[in-house]
This record gives sequence, structure tokens and C-alpha cells, in this order.
Amino acid sequence: MNQDTETQSTTGNALDAVRANPRPVAVWGAVAALLLLPELGAVLASVAEAVAILVSLIPGDPGAALVTDIQRAVGDIPTLLSRETIPNRGYYDGSQWQGTFAGLEPRDAWLLRAVLIYTYALLVFWWVVVGYRWFRSNYRVSDWTPFDDMLDRFRTHRWGHFGLLVVVLFLILVVFAPSLSTTTVDQNIVDPYSHEISYYDHEVESVEQTTVGTANRESQSTGEENIGPWTYDDYGRFHPFGTLPSGKDLFTFIAAGARVSLVIGLVAIGLAGLIAVSLALLSAYYQGLVDLAVVLSSDSIQGLPSLLILLLLSVLLSDTWIGGIYSGGFVLALIYGAISWPFLWRALRGPALQTAGEEWVDAARNFGQAPHTIMRKHILPYIAGYLLVYGSMSLGGAIISIAGLSFLGLGIDAPTPEWGRAVNAGQEYVASESWHISLIPGVLITLLVTGFNALGDGIRDAIDPQSDTDSGTESAATGGGA
Amino acid sequence: MTTEPPVAEVEPPLLSVENLSVTFHTDKESIHATSGLDFEIERGETVGVVGESGSGKSVTARALMGLLESTGELGAESSIKFRDESTIDRLVDDYPNAVGRGDGSSEDGTFVIDRDDGNRYVDLAKAPDQAVNQIRGSGIAMVFQDPLTSLNPVYTVGNQIKEALRIHREIRGQEATEVAIELLEDVGIPDPARRMREYPHQFSGGMRQRAIIAMTLACDPELLICDEPTTALDVTIQAQILELLQELQAERDLAILFITHDMGVIAEVADRVGVMYAGEIVEKAPVGSLFESPAHPYTRGLMSSIPSRNLDSDRLETLEGEVPTPHESPHDCRFAPRCPEAFDACHETHPNAIPIEGNADHTASCLLYPEDIQTEKAVARHTRPEERDQTETGDDTT
Repeated sequence: MNQDTETQSTTGNALDAVRANPRPVAVWGAVAALLLLPELGAVLASVAEAVAILVSLIPGDPGAALVTDIQRAVGDIPTLLSRETIPNRGYYDGSQWQGTFAGLEPRDAWLLRAVLIYTYALLVFWWVVVGYRWFRSNYRVSDWTPFDDMLDRFRTHRWGHFGLLVVVLFLILVVFAPSLSTTTVDQNIVDPYSHEISYYDHEVESVEQTTVGTANRESQSTGEENIGPWTYDDYGRFHPFGTLPSGKDLFTFIAAGARVSLVIGLVAIGLAGLIAVSLALLSAYYQGLVDLAVVLSSDSIQGLPSLLILLLLSVLLSDTWIGGIYSGGFVLALIYGAISWPFLWRALRGPALQTAGEEWVDAARNFGQAPHTIMRKHILPYIAGYLLVYGSMSLGGAIISIAGLSFLGLGIDAPTPEWGRAVNAGQEYVASESWHISLIPGVLITLLVTGFNALGDGIRDAIDPQSDTDSGTESAATGGGA
Repeated sequence: MTTEPPVAEVEPPLLSVENLSVTFHTDKESIHATSGLDFEIERGETVGVVGESGSGKSVTARALMGLLESTGELGAESSIKFRDESTIDRLVDDYPNAVGRGDGSSEDGTFVIDRDDGNRYVDLAKAPDQAVNQIRGSGIAMVFQDPLTSLNPVYTVGNQIKEALRIHREIRGQEATEVAIELLEDVGIPDPARRMREYPHQFSGGMRQRAIIAMTLACDPELLICDEPTTALDVTIQAQILELLQELQAERDLAILFITHDMGVIAEVADRVGVMYAGEIVEKAPVGSLFESPAHPYTRGLMSSIPSRNLDSDRLETLEGEVPTPHESPHDCRFAPRCPEAFDACHETHPNAIPIEGNADHTASCLLYPEDIQTEKAVARHTRPEERDQTETGDDTT
């Protein structure tokens, strides 16, 4: 693509290069704008919501009314790939489907929406990649940076590609969870008795009204009665993954649970990574006593029984405001992060020490660079890659640990949807007709953790081609081991 | 040091190192990397330090910069007196509590000496790391041995020079870019505007060393420590870099401490030379008199291993053995085991610096000197403390 515009400007900065050759940036921008258009409403709504949250944090609520007005105005902008535009929920009136998109049956309407969303999201992802390539070949001032080599190595790494694919598919599920799920969390899971649906009653051959709660009760998967994957229940509702023992839709539960899992994973690993990086930089730069102190505290923390600490602290903190977020999931993630940093720190300390011994670090000290700047500019870039590798591997570990706790009934409480809870709920029905309740979320967790590990492997091989592919993976995958 | 009347007319040297001892403590042993070093560097002059690998040259350089590893420790008696007016003024402002009178009374925590008679200096050996950090770069800057590794490969060369400018001259943005281009031009890099944006790996070895010199110049130092700056370069590039350093020195009145193991390089660049052996300076002399009449047997050994000075011999003479690792403070002549002229006393007596032929600029630490008296008496000069005092006072007054 655009091979003809590869004439590089080596002098001048990127802006000059854009001025000299504006065509690729114009084409890219136009297509990006077109791609943004279908989701404009959703994007603006999230921005408005973020602003509203920020404003509400300011004491006195200045401009709260204005923000509400803006939110309302933004809410009117249509979002093309949403439940409202392509509805899958409807009822059969005896001759045809009412309320679904173009009168399709709910299954086909939902499938259409899901396929469209995934196609759209993958297209956006691809277009961002294209944008980087165009920037690299047309505008970037340097004709080579160390990042290029890493990218080239990743390009041939099949296992890494598999990981990337799994992670991207998972991220799309997370971002588009409300639009992808067959019904909403509020209606189906949190508050089923406040919502009414219409359905076609075959016995009286007419359209009737009932609450979602009642409908759920009639659609349970408990071995004897069963709504399996890819089937309709008696109320004309389509369940791609079947239903839970409570009759709630498993797919909706899993899509919402993906968000919870990702947030928990990111918070846990974000906190652990922050602590690990700071301590790795400190121990590499100052060494000696500082290093020893960190070694000792890391050893002490690793010596603690982590499962016990997790349970103890989550019970202790459960009544505080922070314990209420995600039914205790947030506080669990914080505790996990606070006790799992030693693993990350151990992985980062070696490379950090090695980098601190490089002559450019001495050279920087020699011309009077402040210690924190040296750590940030001259050591951090060299361990950032390792953080990415071990971080992505431990992310899987964090997710699986917390899912494990929820499976034991000790982690996240109802009603917050979480994958481990689904596995737990289906436990007694594994050997029955309702095998899908445990199996589907279980397989998804395994797939996701494998995906994160594969991506981590790929990144590591890209960053450091000499590294041994076999080391470290196993211990990382098990993470907390709960 | 004895209290001496300050000599007002003569400008004191930019840097005087007195009794510098560095000891590395490890779990198993202590290594006295340098012991009792004394030397001075005047403004605008180049002092060469020459010695074999392991003689403590680089440790000396790192000690001056306060860059010793955490296991290294400066001796309590060591002082590194740095006399740069702007540095002293700044430190007096920043550390008012650390300003002392320097009149011999022990003043805890003082490292800036500000005397009315104009004898002002900052003692880097006693200053805390934060204060030394203010001197790094702007007061004393260092060019490292290996130009391949002293630039950070992830930043462009221009970026790294601009960083130095930002720290030391508070120049940013477009102006910094222009100054950086000028600096690169000054050190002889062609097409500096383009090379600015390139990464270190795109530079050749010589170019990189030039870029590093540009980076240190960006800090505008008074004293430049060059730790074997040409060792990793080939001979033609080496000559160019030496020439560049001499030009820059003339332009900016830079004092240079030049550390090398290459006698040829010393002959070319240095004004005065200190010969190091096992952590001690065994001979100190102006470059001319060192090469004309080397006094210490070790220096003579080094001279006879220079190919161009020994054209008529078939084989170059070599010094047998290698530099010992000093595990304790000196009580004998450390060169004695390798010395062709060693006698019994050499293994028991630690030699002091003795002026050669009455010339106070040229001293050698060897029991053979003073040459004009009998060996026993000469040895006695080195052992008896009262005579040593005499020698030292004699040293100071001449």
C-alpha cells in the first residue's frame, strides 16, 4: 500500500513530512472517520459519561446541569451496531416474529448483530495497524527504531499470533459486552422481576405478558429440565450458551463477566506491576541495602499463605466502601496485586540490575542526571518489555485465581457476574444434560489464560530473541494457584 | 597536611587530590585499590595518569566523580579539593550549613571551605552525594572508555545531548536543538542537523566518541576526565580524537585528567604525568623530564616496552609478572617483587615521594632515591618519621 509515497524525508520533523505528502494521512483519516461513524453515539456517550463522573468528583457540582444536557443530546445520536438498531428480542404472534430486526427470528437477528460487531471491531483493529505501517513508511523521521525489529520478529511468531487473536477477541467481547449479549444484565440478571416481556403462549395460542423472573424460573437448566446451548426457551428467547441453573442467560452472564474479569486482572496486575517496577528500579539503582530490604520483604510476602491472606483481608474489608465495588471483586484484585508483586519483581530485578550496570547509566550519572530521571529514562525502557511479558502472563494467573476463589464460593458474590461463579453454579450438573453451565465458562477461562500466556511468549521472543522459550511459562500460568 | 601560609599570588590548582585512598570491602577481603594519592590539576593543563591494567587508574577517576560502587569506600583522610568559583558560589547558597572555615579545627559536616584569604574550595570527598551530583557534568565531566556503550541505544544522539543541555544550561526546545547542532559541529561531525536524529548504532566508533565529547561539552565542565577515551578506537581515529581534545582544551581553557595505559598517547597529550602502580603514584613528573630521565625502575620498565623508543633492540623488554592486588595498606614497596633493582630493604620499607635532582616537580617513590647519598641513608629517609617530615616540608617550600 502506498509504495509510491515511500520517499523518505530524513531532515525535518514528522509535521513537515505530513505537509510534503498529505495524501496517506488524509486517506487514513477519512477511512477512520467512516469507521467511527457507526459507533459515534456510543463513543460520545462514553466520553460524556466520563466527563460526568469527573464533574461529579468536583465539590459543589459546577456545571452538572450542563453535563446532563450534553449527555441527553449525545444520547440521541444513533449507534448503528446496538441492540436498539438491530434488536433480537421479540415475540412470535402466531404467524411471524414481531419486534426483531427485519422480522428475522431472534437467533438470526442476534447472530447478525454479533457478526457485524466482530467484523467491525476487527476492521478497526486492522485499520490501526495499517495506520502505523503508513506512518512508518511515510512520515516517521527515523528510518529505523529498535521497536521495528521486535515487530518483525513478532510477525513470524505463530504461537504469539494465536495469543493475540484470543486476547483481541476477548477484548472485543469486553468492549461490546452490552451490545453483544442477547439481553441486558439489568433485565435478565440483576432485576428480573421489574421487567416484563411478551411471549407467544402455544397452549392458548395468543401473546401473553409475564415478568422476566417468571420466565427465568421456567427456563432453568438443572439436569432434569434443560435449556442447552443454541436453543430457544418456552418464551421465545434465544440462548447461545444455554441458561444457568437459575434460568438466567449464560451468554449475557459471560459477556458481562468478561468485563469484571478484565477489570480485576488489570487492577491486580497494574498494582503488582507498579510496585514491582518501582522496587526493581530502586534496587537496581541503589543496590546494597535497598536491594537487600526488598529481597527480604519479597521473601516474607512469598512465604505467606496467599490464599489465607486473600480470604482474611477480603472479609475484613468487605464492609468498607471499597469492598462494595463489584461485590468484593475490586478489593480482591487490590489484595491480589499487593501480595503478588514479588513474582513480577523477581522477573524484573535481573534485567534492571543488568541495565544499571551499563555504561550509559554511569554516563548519565556522570553528567549530573537526577536518580529518578536515570531510573525512568535509562533503566525503565529496558525492563518495560519484561514487564509486558510477565504482566500479560500473570494477568491470566490473576484472572484464574479470582475465578478459582469464586468457584470455591469465596471470591466474588452474587449478583456480579463472574466466570468462576458460573463454573461453580454448574458444578452439580456436570454429569447431567446441563453440562454446558460449567464447561463453557471453564473452557473460556482456560482459553483466555492460554491466550495471555501465548501473547506473553510472543512478546518475549520479540523483545529478546535469545531468551529460552520454555522457561518461566509454567510458573506464570498458574499465578496465584488458587 | 601541615598548616602553611597561603600563597596569594599563585592561583591554586583547580583540583587538588590529597591522600586519596579507596578501599573495596567484600565479604572475603578488602582491596586497597588506591592508597595515599596526591596530585594537582591546574586550569588548562592536561595531567596524564598512566599505568597497567589493575593499577587503580579508573578507580581514581570514579572516586573523583563520586561514582564508586557501593562496596567502595573513601579513606577518612582523603580530600578532593575542587576550586571552581561558580560551583562554590552555588554550593554556598544551597548548603549554608556546610560552609566551614577550614582552619584545621574539625568541623563536622562541612565540605565547602570559604576563607577570607581567597582560599575557597569544595571537598568532594566529604560532600554528600546530592551535592556531588551538582558538580557532575557542570564541574567535572567524564568521557568513558567505550563509546559503544556509553550512549543509550534507545534515544537519538541529539536527544541525549539536549538532555545534558536541559540539565546544565536550562536550554530547551528549538534553542536546544540549535545549540546541540553547534556542539556536534564543534566536535567535527559532518551534517550535524541530520546526524542529530540518528541513533547511536548508526554512528561509527569515532563518531560516537565525538558525540560523547559533545555531550560532555554541553555540560560546560571545568575539568574533563578522560578514562581511556581512545582505547576502543583504531589508531587514525585515536589521533583525531586527541587532536580534537587539544583544540577544545585551548578554546575553553579546560583542565583534562587523561587516563591511559598507552605511553605514546601520554607523550602526545599530557603536560604532567603520574605513573601509577598498584594503587599508588610511583613517579610524578612533567612529561618532558619523565621521558628524558625516568627515575623509578617501574617507569624505566614501561619506557623500555615502547616500540618506537627501542628501535635497535630485537625484542622489547618486558616486565615479568603482573600488578598485585593490594589487600592491605602499603608497608613495603609494592613493585619490589618485579623490580630488577630491588634489594632487601625494599620488602620492608614503604618508600615516600622524593624529589629527583632537587626538582620538586619530579618525584619518585623509590628507596634508590635520593641518589646522591648512600643507600642506607637513603633508606633511612624513607623510614624515620622525623626525616620524612623534613623531606615533606622541604617539598612544600621549594
